Amino acid sequence: MLKLFKLLGNKKLFILLVGLILFIALMGYTLTNRTSLSWPEKVARDTVGFVQGVFYKPASYIAGFFEDISNLSELHEENQELKLTAAQYLMQQASYNDLVQQNKLLQKELKFTTNQLAQNQFDLHVANVTSVDNDEDTGTIVVDLGSKDGVRKDMPVISLNGMVGIVSQTSNYHATVKLLTTLDPLDPNSKAIAATAVGKENQSFGMVESYDKATGMLTMTQIKEDDPLKRGDTIVSSGSGGLFPKGMIIGEVISRQVGDFGLTNTATIDPSADFKNWKEVFVVYTKETQE
Amino acid sequence: MARRVILLLLLFLVFIWEGTIIPWLIPDFLDTRLVPHLAYILILFVSIYYHRHTALALGLIFGLLHDVVFYGDMIGAYAFAMGLSAYVLGLLFQSPRAPYPLMMTVVLIGSLLLDHLLYGIYLVFGLTREPYAWALGHYMFPNLLLHFIFALIIFVPVRQQLEKVAKLRRRAAEEE
Repeated sequence: MLKLFKLLGNKKLFILLVGLILFIALMGYTLTNRTSLSWPEKVARDTVGFVQGVFYKPASYIAGFFEDISNLSELHEENQELKLTAAQYLMQQASYNDLVQQNKLLQKELKFTTNQLAQNQFDLHVANVTSVDNDEDTGTIVVDLGSKDGVRKDMPVISLNGMVGIVSQTSNYHATVKLLTTLDPLDPNSKAIAATAVGKENQSFGMVESYDKATGMLTMTQIKEDDPLKRGDTIVSSGSGGLFPKGMIIGEVISRQVGDFGLTNTATIDPSADFKNWKEVFVVYTKETQE
Repeated sequence: MARRVILLLLLFLVFIWEGTIIPWLIPDFLDTRLVPHLAYILILFVSIYYHRHTALALGLIFGLLHDVVFYGDMIGAYAFAMGLSAYVLGLLFQSPRAPYPLMMTVVLIGSLLLDHLLYGIYLVFGLTREPYAWALGHYMFPNLLLHFIFALIIFVPVRQQLEKVAKLRRRAAEEE
């Protein structure tokens, strides 16, 4: 015992231990679900974010320029394809508008509450990426829209291809986006996404809740045995659960297997967003829900 | 004094590049396998050629900056890992005349130490479930290689600058 006290008399060791305790406390505290940041954090984030923005954009332009040169041969083909899709869109637009009108009318007749009506309305806002952290376990990107622009915690963020992540923290002019690659059912802050398959919205349901770093695939769990979900289906968020609006594209089903306990099935999903070469992303502004 | 401020600004600039320019230079298929901590390598140089206390402070500050800017899960992991490993390596190896091979060894140990500390912290707080062997092969060793090459390139100019700063400090201490 006396030896132990002598050891603690060593000043360096003492400071190290106190530091360790302080850091564990800090990590534990910041790991909890914090609603807003303190002002020193905000100032640091906005200052660094601003400087990062100055460097990121030119770098992305230069990298994009070289990419464009190497892609020049594919451009013609891509252009043809895009024309085709645009034409299809135009056709569908007409029927879509018609459906929206009909839907509104029916909702009115069924006397939906304003809350229910607003649930799946959202706006897209373009945000520039200002920096990237590729850390395997805590991957995030920083975008140049912040709480002054109306970004709130837990808003989904999508790219042209599909959903990429969830806003984890905001400061006045910047927001950090936690990527879907950090989805983990054991992580207390990670939020599973209620999902369904396109075209089977009323029969399919599951929770996208983890990402396998080794294979780069998402896993969807809690799929019922009689669920018609199968290989090749496109998975979108279902909008139930309230946190994420309907219709965010998540990925495509690669395979379906019996789950851990044999009662439900799980599906392996290839994410449609390719978590690299970040340029612009879209923050999905959802309507604020009363809790 | 002016030299010290400029060096500090350069360190900040390298920190900024880590998140902005470097991701564009890394080829796509290596995106999550190379997560360079270049500012940390510079701090290791400070720890060996200047003083470990300065390195400790720099490690804490830049680690905290990284934590706050890329705040996804928690704050403190990088600050703790960078501060502690820079200090410990300085404690063991600090010498103004450290030769090239010694400094490279320090960079190798430091790179592994940082990644291991981070992995350990994430494991304790349940943020990672990847097996150790996978993490080792997937990003720790590629990181090690990149850090080594970076250190090889910057060795001569950084050592020169740090020695000049250290000399100035010694002279100031003698005058007092």
